[in-house]
Order: sequence, then C-alpha cells, then structure tokens
Amino acid sequence: MDIGPIWRAMLRNKAGFVLIALQVAVTLTIVVNAFGIIQERAGRIARDSGVDEANTFAFASVLFTDYEREQRKVLIDEDLDLIRNVPGVVNAVASNSFPLRQGGWSMGVALEPGNQTPESVGTAIYFVDEHGAETFDVTVIDGKNFTPEQVTWSLEDDNTWPAYGIITEALGKEMWPDDAGSYVGKTMYINDNDPVNIVGVIDTLQAPWESWTGVERSMLVPQRRPSEFVRYIVRAEPGMRDKLMPEIEAMLAASNKDRIIRDMTTMDDVRKLAYVGDTALIKILGFIVVLLTLITALGIVGLASFNVSRRTRQIGIRRALGATRPSIVRYFLIENSIVSAIGLVVGSALAIGLNIVMVEAFSLEPLAWYVIPAGVIALWAVGQIAVAEPARRASNISPAIATRSS
Amino acid sequence: MLKMKDVCKIYRTDTVETHALRGFSLAVEDGEFVSVTGPSGSGKTTFLNIAGLLEELTSGVYELDGRDISALNDKERSRVRNEKIGFIFQSFNLIPELNVFDNVDVPLRYRGFDAKERERRIMSCLERVGLASRPKHFPAQLSGGQQQRVAIARALAGEPRFLLADEPTGNLDTHMADSVLDLLKEINEAGTTIIMVTHELTLADRANRNLFVRDGEIHDEPPELHLAAAATA
Repeated sequence: MDIGPIWRAMLRNKAGFVLIALQVAVTLTIVVNAFGIIQERAGRIARDSGVDEANTFAFASVLFTDYEREQRKVLIDEDLDLIRNVPGVVNAVASNSFPLRQGGWSMGVALEPGNQTPESVGTAIYFVDEHGAETFDVTVIDGKNFTPEQVTWSLEDDNTWPAYGIITEALGKEMWPDDAGSYVGKTMYINDNDPVNIVGVIDTLQAPWESWTGVERSMLVPQRRPSEFVRYIVRAEPGMRDKLMPEIEAMLAASNKDRIIRDMTTMDDVRKLAYVGDTALIKILGFIVVLLTLITALGIVGLASFNVSRRTRQIGIRRALGATRPSIVRYFLIENSIVSAIGLVVGSALAIGLNIVMVEAFSLEPLAWYVIPAGVIALWAVGQIAVAEPARRASNISPAIATRSS
Repeated sequence: MLKMKDVCKIYRTDTVETHALRGFSLAVEDGEFVSVTGPSGSGKTTFLNIAGLLEELTSGVYELDGRDISALNDKERSRVRNEKIGFIFQSFNLIPELNVFDNVDVPLRYRGFDAKERERRIMSCLERVGLASRPKHFPAQLSGGQQQRVAIARALAGEPRFLLADEPTGNLDTHMADSVLDLLKEINEAGTTIIMVTHELTLADRANRNLFVRDGEIHDEPPELHLAAAATA
C-alpha cells in the first residue's frame, strides 16, 4: 500500500499532524473514561429496587390532634382496611420507609449475641405486617412470608426486637458467605442480644439509600409502629396508579379530620429524585463526550481542508501521473488513519493511566475491556468520516492544473 | 499513433465563450519528435492538455493507438495517462515532500507494480538521467536541471509510448536546456514518441517535425512569426 511515501511526506510537515494526533489522544483519554463513568452510573440507575415501581405510590398520614396509642392503632387499621378495599389496589402496608427514599432505618446484625462490632453487618430495616411482601412486590424464594400471628405492635416501654425476620438473599450471603445452603431457620442477633429467626428469604429489596455499598441488604421486620406519623405504601394494579392516588388521598382525608395526608408521591418520582445527581452527571459527561468528539472531527476537517488547498497542485500532478479519483480519496484516508493511529495508541495508554488514577482516587470500577477498543474504533471512524468530504473535494481537482504556471 | 480530427475546445463561463482550439487536426506517427510552437494564448497548452488526457475535448475525435479517447470514463483516462503517457512540465512539478526515489515511484505505484519491479525501474531511470547517486535527495536540494531530470526519470519509469513535454527547458539556463534536450533526443531515438510544446523556435528546430499553433488552429507551415524570428536570428 502507499503508507511508506505518505508517512515520509508527513514527516516533512509534522506540526499539523502532531497537533491532530495529540487532539485525538486527549479526546480518546477523556471520552473512554467519561464513558466508563457514564456506564457505571447508568448501571447503578438500572438496578432493580425490587419494588413494582410503575404501579406503586406512597404518602404519609400525620396526626395533628393528640391520639392515645390505642387510638392510633385503630386509625392505622382503619386506614389500611379502607385502602386495601379500594378496587384497583393490589395491597398496601404501613412501613417506616421504602427503597430509594434516601431516609430509613438501619441496624447491625451479627452471628453472635453482644458482639456487634466489628463483625456485624449493616442492613436496612422495613417494619411491615404480613402484607409487606406483596406490597413491595418481592418474591419469597425460600421459607415463608410472615403469618399474622408473627406480626406485633411495638411496645411503649420495651425495645426487645421481634423474633422473626425475612432477609434479602444479599444479606444472607453477607452473613454466611461460605454457606451454600438455606438461610431459613438460622439465627442472627440484633440490638446486641436479641435473636432474629430467619423465616424467609426474598430476592431483591433495596435499602432506601441508593449510594450505600450495602444497598442490596434489607430485612423485613414483622412489627407495626403506632406513631403520629405513618407512611403508607400502596401497590396498584397496572394502569390504576394515577387514578387511585387522588382517590385514596380524598378518601383518607374525609375519613378522619384529625390528620393530614401529605407527601403523596409515585415510586417513579422517588427514583428520579434518588438518581437526579447520577442523571445530571450522565448528561454532562455525555455532552462533553459529544463536544470533544465534534471538536476533534472539526480539527480533522480543518487540517484536511488546509492540506487540500496547500496541495492543490500536487493533487493535480498525481492525477496527471495516473491517480484515479478513488486513489486521491484513499491518500487522504490513509494519511488520516496514520495520524489517528498514532493519536489512538498514545490515547489508549493515557486512558489506561487516567483510569488507574481514577479507580484509586474515586473508587470507580475499572474500565470494561471493550471500552478502549470501542473508543478506538469509534474515533477512527469519526476521523475517516471527517476527512471524507475534503478528500472528495481533492479528488475533483483537475489534472490540467499540472500544466498551469505555478 | 496519436490522431486528432476537428478537435474543438471551448471554455465557457457565464458571460464568455473562449474557443481555445478550432478544428484542430493532426496525426503523430510512432517514434516522431514533434515540436508545437506558437505565441502565448495560441492554444498550445490546451492542445497538450487534451493530448495528455488532462482535459476533455468539446467536439471532434481523438484517437490514441487507434482507441477513441472521448469515450473513456475518468478511471480509464487515468489508466491511459499512467500507462501510455509520460509528462514533463516546465516547472518540473516534483512533489516537494518526497525524495527523488519516491517522486519517480509515484506513477509506478498507481500502475500497481510490486516493490521489486518499481525499484528496478526507478534506479534504471535515475541511472539513465544521471541521478542514480541521489535517490534520497529532496527536490529542494537539487538544481533546476537536476529536478527536470528527475521529472524525466518519472516520466520514463512507466515506459510510456508518448512523452508530452510542456516547455521542458523554460525554467533552465542554456547549458541545462541543451543537456535536457539532448536527453529527450536520446529518448526519442530509443523509440518513444515525443510531443514538445515550446515557444522557443531554436529548441523547436531540434524536433523532427514542427507544428505551429495560432488562434487555436494548427499550421504545418511556419506563420509570419516564425519567418520573422528566423530572419532576425
């Protein structure tokens, strides 16, 4: 091929080519690392919270009149009864929190009593009744859901932890990493010395904090808490959510005038809020990737156009000596491939270096093996596309230019 | 054989129509050394461009080795240029970024010869023009005469049947011009047909046949200009 003479000719006019190669190198370095971050964040956003998000909504009932503990229990029972009987409601539960909410309850659990540190494992706690599993749309993959008898009201002066728990598979794996068998029937300790007997294992139910490293570790606790502030979670039948939200709000507001219903929100909105930072970062980095690629492409167009103008006569001479139009186009494509190849080799090394620094400094995941090769191919293609039009113009230069006076 | 019959070339712009060649007819036999002279703007270069397939004719017939050239597409014209025609230009037209070897190599690469064959031809042609010791020199490191010799080597490397020379000595001093003409003569004697465009009548006389172009028309007899010039010489 013509690489030899093209390369030797480039060495006689290095400056422009070196600048473009550097631009390609820097672009590749930034683009692949930005893409790595985008990929990581997109992966985080794509994680399953476990909840039937499209059909679930939540709200709070806040009492502004002093109710006795027993009155509060009655009100919660009445509310849940009303909600569960609305046509279109799959199920509902009163709980302290739900996935992605950013606020919740966490505890340390350990294999031995009184020995919470340093071996204890953190887990999110969701206080629910036997309707919790269905409302959260979690599947009990081992063991059983809570029976109504296992669910108790919390006591005013007794902090003893309920004796039963349903844990996520991730929590089980963290607690018993070497145990391939069932977690059902095992005991762990919470609150220093309170034993929790595992009655069931569920597939996925994220903790309320999406950025927590232990986000997949959660435990359903069969306890109801009669406070003035109660958070209800409602799962609707597909397509019914938006109709039910105002309906249930109005119904509960009318059923008891001593409280207000507030913080009505869909799980979709909760998700948007939880990942607003990640989404913004993806957009900003995506914009930077596009902008840098565009600037590099324009640089390549500029250099190629300059070279076509500078070499108009030379191109005419080549045509006179027998170059076909495609061979003139090929000349510029090969020239661009050489510049790109140098930039992409340097850029690949820089990208790996930057990634190592970023992994160490920001605890990011290392780039997937295919990101750099994909970036190399993409930027090479961008270069070829960018150079195509100036090359086409060059190929239209008349060979007759060779006989004109210089 | 190169044959033109009633060839016309008209350059058109929005407002002007210029007849560069009018009913141009000639035949050049194999092995001839033909000079084409004429004043500036007479159509010499247009004739050379059409003969060398650098431009398309507007009307008429042009046959090269019995083949109608006007019917060829761009790719075929490029191929004919590359295989049958060698060019020598007034301003040498070497590629400044390429050394002597690579410059002579340019048409051979378009021809598709392998590296070994290209090297053999390049070194043989450089030897013939007396520059075999300078393959790594760049054009800027050579004198005008040497640059024109490189251009001749480049034109010869493809072993063309026709050599078209456009004022080949126009940028050279008398001594260098003589040596280049001697070389062309030698090439012609070896069998290559040469058509040389020049405005210098003394150089034109070195050819076997002289043609005269005026106002886009060809004359076998010297016009007054030639007679006058000859009288004062």
